[in-house]
Amino acid sequence: MDFINSHILSLMTFLPLAGAAVILTVPGGRDNLVKTIAAVAAFLPIPLAVQLWFTYDRTVAGVNVASQFQFVEHYSWIPSINVEYFLGADGISMPMIMLTTIISFLAVIGSWNIDKQIKGYMALLLLLETGMMGVFCALDFFLFYVFWEVMLLPMYFLIGIWGGPRREYAAIKFFLYTLLGSILMLIVMLALYFNTTDPETGGHTFNMLHYMQQSTHNGWLQGFDVRILLFLGLFIGFAIKVPLFPFHTWLPDAHVEAPTAISVILAGILLKMGTYGLMRISFPMFPDVTKWFVIPMAILGAINIVYGALCAMAQSDLKKMVAYSSVSHMGFCLLGMAALTPAGMVGAAFQMFSHGMITAMLFFLVGVVYDRAHHRDIDGFGGLAAVVPVYTFFITVAFFASLGLPGFSGFIAEAMIFIGSFGVFRTIVMISASGIIIVAAFHLWALQRVFLGPLNPKYAQLEEINAREIFCLAPLAVMTLILGVYPMPVLNLMNASLIRLVDVVKMVI
Amino acid sequence: MAPISIDAAALLTSVQSIVPEIIVVATAIFVLLLDLAISEEKKHLLCGMGLLGIGVALFSVYALGQGRIEGFSGMIVHDGMGAFFDVVILSACALTFLMATGYSEWEGTHKGEFYSLILLSTSGMMFMAKGTDLMTVFLGLETLSIPIYVLVGFHRNRMSSLEGALKYFLLGAFASGFLLYGIALIYAVTGTTKIPVLATMLYDPRILASPLFLAGTGLLLVGFAFKVSLVPFHMWTPDAYEGAPTVVTAFMSAAVKAAAFAALIRVLLVALPGMQPVLWKVLWGLAVLTMTVGNLSALVQNNVKRLLAYSSIAHAGYILVGLVSGDVLGGQASLFYLLVYAFMNMGAFGVVMLIAQKEDEGYDIANLAGIGFKYPALGALLTLFLISLGGIPPTAGFVGKFYLFSAAVKNGYIWLAVIGVLNSAASIYYYLRMVVYMYMVTPDVEVAVPRPPRILFSMALCASAVVVVVLGIIPRSVLEIAERSVLSLLM
Amino acid sequence: MMDPSAYLLLSGILFGIGVAGVVVRKNVLIILMSVEIMLNAVNVAFIAVGSHLGDVTGSVFAFMVMTVAAAEAAVGLAILIAIFRLKETIDITELSVLKW
Repeated sequence: MDFINSHILSLMTFLPLAGAAVILTVPGGRDNLVKTIAAVAAFLPIPLAVQLWFTYDRTVAGVNVASQFQFVEHYSWIPSINVEYFLGADGISMPMIMLTTIISFLAVIGSWNIDKQIKGYMALLLLLETGMMGVFCALDFFLFYVFWEVMLLPMYFLIGIWGGPRREYAAIKFFLYTLLGSILMLIVMLALYFNTTDPETGGHTFNMLHYMQQSTHNGWLQGFDVRILLFLGLFIGFAIKVPLFPFHTWLPDAHVEAPTAISVILAGILLKMGTYGLMRISFPMFPDVTKWFVIPMAILGAINIVYGALCAMAQSDLKKMVAYSSVSHMGFCLLGMAALTPAGMVGAAFQMFSHGMITAMLFFLVGVVYDRAHHRDIDGFGGLAAVVPVYTFFITVAFFASLGLPGFSGFIAEAMIFIGSFGVFRTIVMISASGIIIVAAFHLWALQRVFLGPLNPKYAQLEEINAREIFCLAPLAVMTLILGVYPMPVLNLMNASLIRLVDVVKMVI
Repeated sequence: MAPISIDAAALLTSVQSIVPEIIVVATAIFVLLLDLAISEEKKHLLCGMGLLGIGVALFSVYALGQGRIEGFSGMIVHDGMGAFFDVVILSACALTFLMATGYSEWEGTHKGEFYSLILLSTSGMMFMAKGTDLMTVFLGLETLSIPIYVLVGFHRNRMSSLEGALKYFLLGAFASGFLLYGIALIYAVTGTTKIPVLATMLYDPRILASPLFLAGTGLLLVGFAFKVSLVPFHMWTPDAYEGAPTVVTAFMSAAVKAAAFAALIRVLLVALPGMQPVLWKVLWGLAVLTMTVGNLSALVQNNVKRLLAYSSIAHAGYILVGLVSGDVLGGQASLFYLLVYAFMNMGAFGVVMLIAQKEDEGYDIANLAGIGFKYPALGALLTLFLISLGGIPPTAGFVGKFYLFSAAVKNGYIWLAVIGVLNSAASIYYYLRMVVYMYMVTPDVEVAVPRPPRILFSMALCASAVVVVVLGIIPRSVLEIAERSVLSLLM
Repeated sequence: MMDPSAYLLLSGILFGIGVAGVVVRKNVLIILMSVEIMLNAVNVAFIAVGSHLGDVTGSVFAFMVMTVAAAEAAVGLAILIAIFRLKETIDITELSVLKW
């Protein structure tokens, strides 16, 4: 028990990896055994996450104060260049850690019907979970970077091997875009490393928390121009992941080709890494540049909201529509963060959590219909509500949650973002608000074309959603509803940290 | 005339300083003689004998310890650096022998001279890495090159093999000419060929300004550039690599590169730090050119061997980045990378060798189609080696590249690091292309049937994989050894 | 002690001739001979400088170079013969199985 308590984040990170290793030793042909092991390995972090939930102290902030991080594990890893194995959680990472455990487990369940090379698939999926968890827990930049890259390859293979017809193209595009981002990050990391010193030992350091103390920066890094350059390097790296216009073009391709569960993880967790990176790294490390850069960020956010929504409206492929709606929703996060107000920041973080659940639901649902009809053309259906009422119920819930109807978590998040940012940039917020109308429009329009109207006779025998699929959807739907009515459990988790984050950025001259 | 007195103690130290080399040469001769004595069916014994000899040599390196042993009045030194490269070169040689167990059987290279030439070449490399006199460096270089010329042309009924050998030979001999003339000019100006003495001479600004000396250094550099295949002196590499028997290609790519870089590191860090400003600009340019041209050419290759040849050119560029940095961190990074490169590159060649079945035709990239699922172990191994070559964590290739580029950033060569990192990203494209073929392309005809590997062959692949993964996760101890080795050089 | 500059000039000219031969000529045999000229240019330089400095290194180096040159020539000619057996030509432009 002591071991579990003192290494809880490591366990959550590496249990899936252990599961992957076990899977690789299973002899061929035992597909069900493989799936069971994967499900167990992906489930085990959930009780640990519950443990985290109950023991996490919600009153301390973390962010840039090492002593306020919780569940810390701190060891030396490569001493000659002071790389540390440094994990810890605060209010920025806690919701993301929770989200990762839930979505990953549901993704494994959602992959039950994969029959091609299930061993490799599950092993890669679990490896991916290790990478994601590591990214959210790491407090050492080198470690963060390693996890960030570790995530890349499984994702590439999962899209490239198990994806749709144009999978190779989509996989390589995803890979090259993300790689470009990582390279910029690597260069910034090196620059930071050689221009900061650990106040205790006097050597160079990869410790993120040291980077946040301006006093540890020497020489080069104190020039504002240099800091702008470094900030932009990181920003582009993260923007590709979010993805922000104009770096978003990999996303629709990757989503359309990826298998259902992988789209779920991609939209549910991977995209959040971009915004998480901005909150965890860019903002507190370069507060002065952040302040200088808020207007462009808000504009980019607004472009994302409106442009993403317009693109979504123009799509005839249901999955592509959902993918572009993600682009639109992630724009809200950026807008909220750029406002640098507590409400905006908390709204952005809550949007990350809420969108993670909603978009996961949407991709699951698109996968359900694709499995049965083998196409996703919005105009190719019609009147499905009469044939598959349960499915229609779930998709209606998900669509309403996605378009921001009051009573769902998405509404709370978007409302907070608008409240937080309206006082700061009025025009931009007003333009963004028009995005909401477009978002509502394309959701309802799609709903109408697919489920209402005369029944397309081709689908009169369409199979209803099954129990396994409901098992994937129900928890997400319930959580979206509960958090839509009473968001405090998640808000409490992150309030202290995000308010500190806003202070850190605001305080700097 | 006074009788020549023999200093017994000095002789003993001298012999001590080259014990591993003596063992390797003795094994080479023994293998050659054994070949005469045994029948055709027992030729695999030759390989076993070679492995035994390499094992003993490795042990002798270990037994000699970390101390500095100078021999032959300062012609050769066994120091940390020498020991490090002895280990790298001997490991590469051991992997070659392990892989040759299968390869020789398929391609008919179970011949005494094949193994003995590899061993002789290995001894030349070790001499080169330990030489502290330009004469020893030159002799080591030739001892390593001449057997390699023969080995490249070993399949004497295949035109590509002979053609590769001829091209390698002509350009190699040409490069030796440059190297020698460079040494001659340096000797003409300074009156010495000893590397440590040269270092002290360079404090004299008159020597540094002498055009003859500059020309000499330039020619010396050209000679080395040919051997480590830096652009624009790389023309022989793809041809020699493609033509050579694959097992020899693997050996060349790992060991020759290591030995030539060892000598280059010694010359640059010990003898020529005084030339900093001029020389380092040249090296900077060479590194950028080598990385960029190597990677861009690799992008369009369809022959796996040729692709890996261009990738090895690009890797020479990365390693040069460490030398450009010119400090302990840079040297340490280069050493570590050479070690890691030996394992990952030989591993990649090993898997490719199994899949290709046949020289020449078997190396088309389309031949990889469908391998990944039909032969998961081979697919996974090749993927591991390729992502390590591409520098993606958590493999040793990433740690190596990280060190190289951080050394560059630390010494203010930020653009060099940026170009290097961009190059490394571009390289991932063609490494992944091979992975795409293995996993995502359905083969036009049937999936190629790889040869079933011999036990020793599989051991070589597994050992390489273990090294690549373990050094990717816990590189600590090897990095420290590399650091000590570079420091031993600067003492 | 004699002044080595004339000898160095000679060796420079010889080296230049050798390099030009390697670059210009198409016949492998002649290229080989040009390489030998380069190596002998080196020998001239070494011996001249060695005797100017009264240092034995130069002469020793020249001996080493001669040995190596002999070994190289042996291997080179062997490769050449093997090629001639297969292709009946020693013109470098006709060796093009591998693209340059």
